[in-house]
Amino acid sequence: MAAWVERKQSLVYGSDDWLPRKLVLVRAGGTCPAPFQRPTKKQKASVAATASSSTRALNFTLHITSHHGIKSQSPSPMASTTPQSALSFPRETFAKLSPHPYLRAHLQPTSATATPTRANGRSPSQFRTPHINNGSLTHADGSAVVRIGDTTVVCGIRGEILLTSKVPGWRADKAAAEPSSGAGYNEIKELDLLVPNIELATGCSPAFMPVIPPSTLAQDLSTKIYSLLHSTNLLDREDLRIWYQPPDLSDPDRMDDDSEDDEETSASEIKAFWALYIDILFISLDGNPFDAAWAAVMSALKNVRLPKAYWDPDREMILCDDSVDKSKKLSLNGLPVAITALVFKAKEQAQSKDKKYWILVDPDTFEESLCDESVTVVVDCSEKKTRILSITKSGGTIVGREEMKDIVKLAEQRSTELSSILNG
Amino acid sequence: MVASKEPSVLLSHLHRADGSATFSQNGYTVIGAVNGPIEVPRRHELPEEAVIEVLVRPAAGVGGTRERHLESILHSTLRQIILVHNFPRHLIQVTLQITNTPENKNTGSKVVQAGSHLAILPALLQTAVLALLSASMPLATILTSVSIAIHADGKSRKLITHPSLKEFESASSVHIMAFTSHGEPLVVESQGTFTLEDWEEVFETVKALCHAEHNRIDDNAMQGVDGKGNMLEFVKSAMGEKVAQDLHWHT
Repeated sequence: MAAWVERKQSLVYGSDDWLPRKLVLVRAGGTCPAPFQRPTKKQKASVAATASSSTRALNFTLHITSHHGIKSQSPSPMASTTPQSALSFPRETFAKLSPHPYLRAHLQPTSATATPTRANGRSPSQFRTPHINNGSLTHADGSAVVRIGDTTVVCGIRGEILLTSKVPGWRADKAAAEPSSGAGYNEIKELDLLVPNIELATGCSPAFMPVIPPSTLAQDLSTKIYSLLHSTNLLDREDLRIWYQPPDLSDPDRMDDDSEDDEETSASEIKAFWALYIDILFISLDGNPFDAAWAAVMSALKNVRLPKAYWDPDREMILCDDSVDKSKKLSLNGLPVAITALVFKAKEQAQSKDKKYWILVDPDTFEESLCDESVTVVVDCSEKKTRILSITKSGGTIVGREEMKDIVKLAEQRSTELSSILNG
Repeated sequence: MVASKEPSVLLSHLHRADGSATFSQNGYTVIGAVNGPIEVPRRHELPEEAVIEVLVRPAAGVGGTRERHLESILHSTLRQIILVHNFPRHLIQVTLQITNTPENKNTGSKVVQAGSHLAILPALLQTAVLALLSASMPLATILTSVSIAIHADGKSRKLITHPSLKEFESASSVHIMAFTSHGEPLVVESQGTFTLEDWEEVFETVKALCHAEHNRIDDNAMQGVDGKGNMLEFVKSAMGEKVAQDLHWHT
């Protein structure tokens, strides 16, 4: 099969600049002059292809007159009228039959002045425009809908109360004294106060079948969101604490109380925590799920309003105040923005000597299926100096120091664009 | 107990697997077994290349989302180093069983901490490569992996190579990188708060540790870099010893 791919490229496409001309052909009214005219014996080249991913065999014969002839043509629209270019498919068919050469032909500039453009019309470093809508879910404490191209994510955050009496091994003195007590101790992490969950809805992409357990992708994304929420120290733990300040016991009515009891209860203590359940649902997925999911989480966290909760000593339970005025927003530590870029290599084979490549940011599903190496960078530009919060890369060896510098620069640009939407 | 930062390995000790290795470093021990190329279930079959299946099993309990994440990193990495196009319509199965993890001081909390699940990644990568070598799987290159923690407090900055779990958790940023034997970066997992300059310094340090550039090894200005810590040398010597053992009847 691998041998076939090589042969197919050399026979049918011949030169690397075949495709844009084909596109000209199609754009010029879809005329395909004598597409399957009977060729002469020496001009004939036939290729039998098998659809690679399905078990259904698909045989087709391609006739080309002479690929040398195609090569020598001038790239003018006039080429469409010459009978030499008998091989002519609509671009959708080309994209399906040989996706890799299709994308490569788009990226390889045909002339010195032309800039590489991806199959979706964007330049390699161009992002899709984000659209964010906050607070559309009424029953959640905070929510956001993020749409980036055809990737749409809904994120809803709901706060639930975790009583310290329910925490196994909880000791009041542990956290009551100082927030900084216990070096390295982080209760948000220890008590699992942030619970992200990602669901890829059935029908959001043709790849997802109904009634199957969460896909590897969904589990992978949940883990990434989870570890990023913690490693960035995004939330202030004071926001998630529910304190109880016992009434002033020097009050004359209660002077008859035990003096020992006074000292014990006069210090305020944490009675409960807010646990945030962050549910992320993909309505539609067209590539780059992580960036969209993270933007949705950030936007929803900014949207969260937790009601004022207090400990009622008489009823011995936590009550929440109804009034909106007393509810509080979360104070977030910075505004991290994630960007993902893929490396598209000129040669399909994973271990190939041809080192030509393009870095494509914000990829769609079609591009994701053609690239192995992916880089995700999370930056926070809310302060003067850019903080990098995470760099993840796997699946290839192309991106080194210099390439990473460029990607971080792109991330900074994207961050300014996205944070204006997130803040505004 | 302080775990040894020196790596150690036991090769081809499982008799039913095609290749196996047990690797220990930093308090982590992982048993790796490789089977392949073997038959692949029809619906997973790829017509042009081998299917790689990576299974990560935790030391206690069953695998969860954390293991899926590690598996997906390993899968995309191993796909780059195994010559998958040599075995179309086959399956190469890599099973990694974690048997030992460093003790966690935070008793009563979750067994594995969020974020620090990455601490085991170098051990998993190294075990997988050694098991693949033991199975004589054709590889394009081998990879070596090192973790580095940066402890920064305003002015001073300290790089710790092969950090312990405690150092890993209290670090301002942690970096796990894997390089091929040609010195190309294959895996990068950096977390925490850092700058591009920090990252580039880590990049060069790990590159020197993973990749045997002899002029670098003598350069003691770079912290933690010496011939002893070189992971590529370790893999080479481990394999060399194994081959010498297997050929002892020859002389």
